[in-house]
Amino acid sequence: MYKASRFSPLTSIIRHTVVTLPTPINISTWWNFGSLLGICLASQIFSGLVLSLHFTAHTDLSFYVVIQSFGDVYYNWWFRALHANGASFFFIGLYLHIARGLYYGSYLFKEVWSIGVVILLLVMASAFLGYVLPWGQMSFWGATVITSLFSALPVIGGDVVVWLWGGFSVDNATLTRFFGLHFVLPFIVAGLVGLHLFFLHDQGSSNPLGVSSDFNKVVFHHYYVLKDLVGACFFIGPLLGLVYLNPWLLGDPENFIEGNPLVTPHHIQPEWYFLFAYAILRAVPNKLGGVVALAAAVLVLFYMPVSPKTSVKGLSFYPWGKMLFFSLVGVFFLLTWAGSKPVEEPYVVISQVLSFLYFSYFALIGPITRIQDKLL
Amino acid sequence: MRPSFLLRKEFGNLAVIRGTVKYHLSPLEQRAFAGAISQGVPNIFWRFRQSFFYVVPPMLLSYLVYYTAEMEHDRLQRKQPGQFDHEK
Repeated sequence: MYKASRFSPLTSIIRHTVVTLPTPINISTWWNFGSLLGICLASQIFSGLVLSLHFTAHTDLSFYVVIQSFGDVYYNWWFRALHANGASFFFIGLYLHIARGLYYGSYLFKEVWSIGVVILLLVMASAFLGYVLPWGQMSFWGATVITSLFSALPVIGGDVVVWLWGGFSVDNATLTRFFGLHFVLPFIVAGLVGLHLFFLHDQGSSNPLGVSSDFNKVVFHHYYVLKDLVGACFFIGPLLGLVYLNPWLLGDPENFIEGNPLVTPHHIQPEWYFLFAYAILRAVPNKLGGVVALAAAVLVLFYMPVSPKTSVKGLSFYPWGKMLFFSLVGVFFLLTWAGSKPVEEPYVVISQVLSFLYFSYFALIGPITRIQDKLL
Repeated sequence: MRPSFLLRKEFGNLAVIRGTVKYHLSPLEQRAFAGAISQGVPNIFWRFRQSFFYVVPPMLLSYLVYYTAEMEHDRLQRKQPGQFDHEK
């Protein structure tokens, strides 16, 4: 019997994306993070929608709404813990997804990579905006510090900051617009994710060997549907472990104190996923220089598609490249640690050296791999 | 219409393949998890050895930097003998 539904445009799109999609037979666990990030995004949007039903964006109310009604409304404590820790897991997935891209040369898919970096920037913006909403001490002062960075812009800096704030300091106008933007950005991210996948499926996924896999593909369903399901279990397990057992492990105790413009916290620091960039920002003694370095810490990823090409895609067959890559991983961990430290010695000098090493990776990885190409 | 379709990147149109020999076994003629333990477990140790000297030295170095920095910071936070003599 003729099944018209098989050929409808919607089922056709779904079939070609997650059922019959030709996928390399040899992609490893590092390829799971794409689907995990999709799960994270869906979870954050859903839990965020539920939280927004009971949230009020007002400087006099937000802190108390978060503390009290999230204790009074059935299971809102769960949604809040899921949303807060889901953000951390979102960034774990993001950084591992990018690490896979850097290691296996995924940046050679130029459109996919560029859209991915834009997604990273928007997710970082969304996370920053969302952290302000509970209006705790760290929410208020984090917002003050980061929005004040725009005053470093020459000529227009002061006006830009006042425009962003909606006043002459971080206040009610800032909170309400941050809530609106935090609500809207994830949907823009979702649209960009669709575009990200659209360009990916243009050529099909890469694989750990870095060679063409057109001769050896399998269907996405069941193989990678099941593999992604297993990955989701391993990802969601620790997330729920944190939600139920230790929901404030990754949080800051200062945010349990209501935001007070007259009392500056002893250590203003962002959440862990921004610490590496925070360390780079503070490493430069000049305000504008620090802001430029902060932006460059993420925007440097745009350089990778135009970096020198190697004979074989990825670093799998480049021992020096691999050493340099894992050195970058170590530098990233150290920058995250340094970002949590006060501006005292020896942390200042170490942050400066680490910032230099971080950017050095992107400068050196091309020449080092090309030297190996010429030698061998 | 998907770009991958336009580029003919779908089953039946992935690439021009010549000289391919195809074998086929019925699922009833094969063991699905053959060698999963006998070869898979030694493979774990082999994969660990292959990546050990790329991963471990940078991580070790990072830990040493962290440890040394924390020790140095603690030392700098302590009062040194004669540090405030000029204030007498």
